[in-house]
Amino acid sequence: MKRKRQFMVFIDPVIRDAVIFASMLSLLTLGLTLNYLTTKVPNFSHGSFASIGMMTMLTMTAAFNQPAYLSLLPAFLLGGFAALALYLLVLRPLISRDASLVSQMIATIAFELILIAVLNIYADYFTQTFKVQSRGFLIRRFDVRILGEPGVFIIAPALAVSTVFLLYLLLNKTRFGIGLRAAIENPSLAGTLGINVKRAYTFSWFLAGGLGGVAGSLLALWFQGSPNYGSELLISIFAAAIVGGLQNIYGAVAGGYLLGLVEVLGTRQLGLTFGPWITVYRPLIPILAMAITLLLLPQGLVSLRLRGVFKQVQRGGSE
Amino acid sequence: MIDEQLIIFLSNVLAYVAIYLMVNVSLNFEYGFTGIPNFGKVLAVAGGAFVVGAVPGRILASQLNLFAGYRAVQDNPVLAECLSTLVQVKPKLMESIDYIEDNAVVVDCVRRVLVNDPLLSISLLVASVGLAALVGAGLGFIASYPSIRLREDYLAMTLLAMGEFLRQVGYLDRTLVGGTLGVAVPDPYGWLGVFRPYASTLIMLTVAVLFFLYVRAVTYSPAGRVLRAVRDSEMAAEVLGIDVVRVKQKVLVVSSMMAAVAGALWAFNSVAVIANTYDRFTWTFWPWVMVIIGGAGNNRGVLLGTLVFVILRQAILTYNYLLEPFIPFSIVWLDRLLFGIALIIVLIIRPQGIVPEKPTPAISFEKIRKMVQKS
Repeated sequence: MKRKRQFMVFIDPVIRDAVIFASMLSLLTLGLTLNYLTTKVPNFSHGSFASIGMMTMLTMTAAFNQPAYLSLLPAFLLGGFAALALYLLVLRPLISRDASLVSQMIATIAFELILIAVLNIYADYFTQTFKVQSRGFLIRRFDVRILGEPGVFIIAPALAVSTVFLLYLLLNKTRFGIGLRAAIENPSLAGTLGINVKRAYTFSWFLAGGLGGVAGSLLALWFQGSPNYGSELLISIFAAAIVGGLQNIYGAVAGGYLLGLVEVLGTRQLGLTFGPWITVYRPLIPILAMAITLLLLPQGLVSLRLRGVFKQVQRGGSE
Repeated sequence: MIDEQLIIFLSNVLAYVAIYLMVNVSLNFEYGFTGIPNFGKVLAVAGGAFVVGAVPGRILASQLNLFAGYRAVQDNPVLAECLSTLVQVKPKLMESIDYIEDNAVVVDCVRRVLVNDPLLSISLLVASVGLAALVGAGLGFIASYPSIRLREDYLAMTLLAMGEFLRQVGYLDRTLVGGTLGVAVPDPYGWLGVFRPYASTLIMLTVAVLFFLYVRAVTYSPAGRVLRAVRDSEMAAEVLGIDVVRVKQKVLVVSSMMAAVAGALWAFNSVAVIANTYDRFTWTFWPWVMVIIGGAGNNRGVLLGTLVFVILRQAILTYNYLLEPFIPFSIVWLDRLLFGIALIIVLIIRPQGIVPEKPTPAISFEKIRKMVQKS
């Protein structure tokens, strides 16, 4: 036990930042990719689902003094309902009217405007009612400690890994999951075979929004939260999704972990190498990753076959 | 009191209509006519504004030898007057002056020089706007390069990311435009005295009308039909021998130039550049709202959309004290809520906007009638 303690103490704080950030980024990327697979539209309001989770966590802990991990459930439900509202009230009417892809993207942006407004109105209301700061809040004190470590440092990666595992089971071992995959691969054929495509899509939107909410609420336990946090995170989510290839959810998780770790650890390494002035260019990392992926490997990580890497690099530029 | 408020309201409306018309016309050029979903409109606008924040003040100050400190510029009566009392408070200014640290001092001195020199002021304005246009063109090209060949959703995501990047760097890096505090900008309209705001608005309106007429002329020309061909069916356009990627790149470069000019003029109008005000809501999403509500692919629609949006929004902001008793939250969030809902409703019920796009005649009907009569 004593040796273990010693080992734990030596964990660099930046490693904690990196692991928590990367795990939650991968959950968000997974949700974005899942939505993209179903309706073929990148959801520009996906970041704000995380903000919803964040505000839920703040409300449950700082205002109602509930245990921190109890608020994962309302965060999941609220995030899921927000995603459902976007899918059922906004996107489905647009799709049924044959709206163009750009129209659908703008509709998700409009939804983002509404979410940001609602979240900020709620933040104002929250501060007025409970006299607790709701912008730039830090609520690490509500976290539990596991083995001398902050709980979120253990639970965030565990949750990300188990989510992927459960999703794997769902998509491969259950009738409903196989139906969902069929609905993604070929909606009209799946429809003819008696699979309720709309219900499958509705479920996947709910799930993606819920995972976004959970990710946001765990992020709130470690990083400084605000009602606009998720909206600012959107760039990293897109970058991770593009690096992951927007083809399947495993690529998304890989992209999320890769970019999350690179963003936090890479920034620190650059700061150590070149001096602290360079750390302000942290936003450049996801953008560069995005640009390099699109230029060299437009299909993303999942298209990487170790044997064919060089061929891919040669071909990638002209694709 | 009421009259004064009305005048403020009207002058705000004019200024915002001018600036947003520039941005919207360029966005309509990209999206409405060519089909490029530029969700990073803010990039070029911020680029233009940052050029104005970073470059002209530095150049003028170094021309005046201001950075060498008070001792070096003592002989210049204008600068000596501007600095003499400050030097007693802050002795460091004797030896050296820094553009960011002592920004207020530098810009104040430069302004005093500009007030007495209309010719220098005008050339400053023209040169800065020109430089901003060049930078905007470069930004438009670089930002779209990785994804211009890919599908529009990839392009949209990349452009959005690129747009956010410049604001974040400007906000976090103090050396560019002063970071969180921002920088003041030399005032090229200062020599006009009390007419300054009118002159600035007039210049912006003129440029906006020029952009409007330019895009109108392009879209009525054969080149406009090329753009529409690219928008409506890329494959068909390629079959007809149109280099789709090149057309898109050209359109992005030209419209980014326009947006950068808009950003530069806006920075001169507000005589300050604060990086955080160049966010994606103000300079990407609002223009999209206006273009979509007005009617994309249609110059008159965009004009109408801009007018409706700006007047409504300014009315909300100016007369907020009338609304305040009825809504229990800060008025700043009301416009996002309202226009977000309005945008969704328009997209579902009337996707073509208030004024739908009409086919433009290849030649005017007058000419056709004459030709028919001749034959």
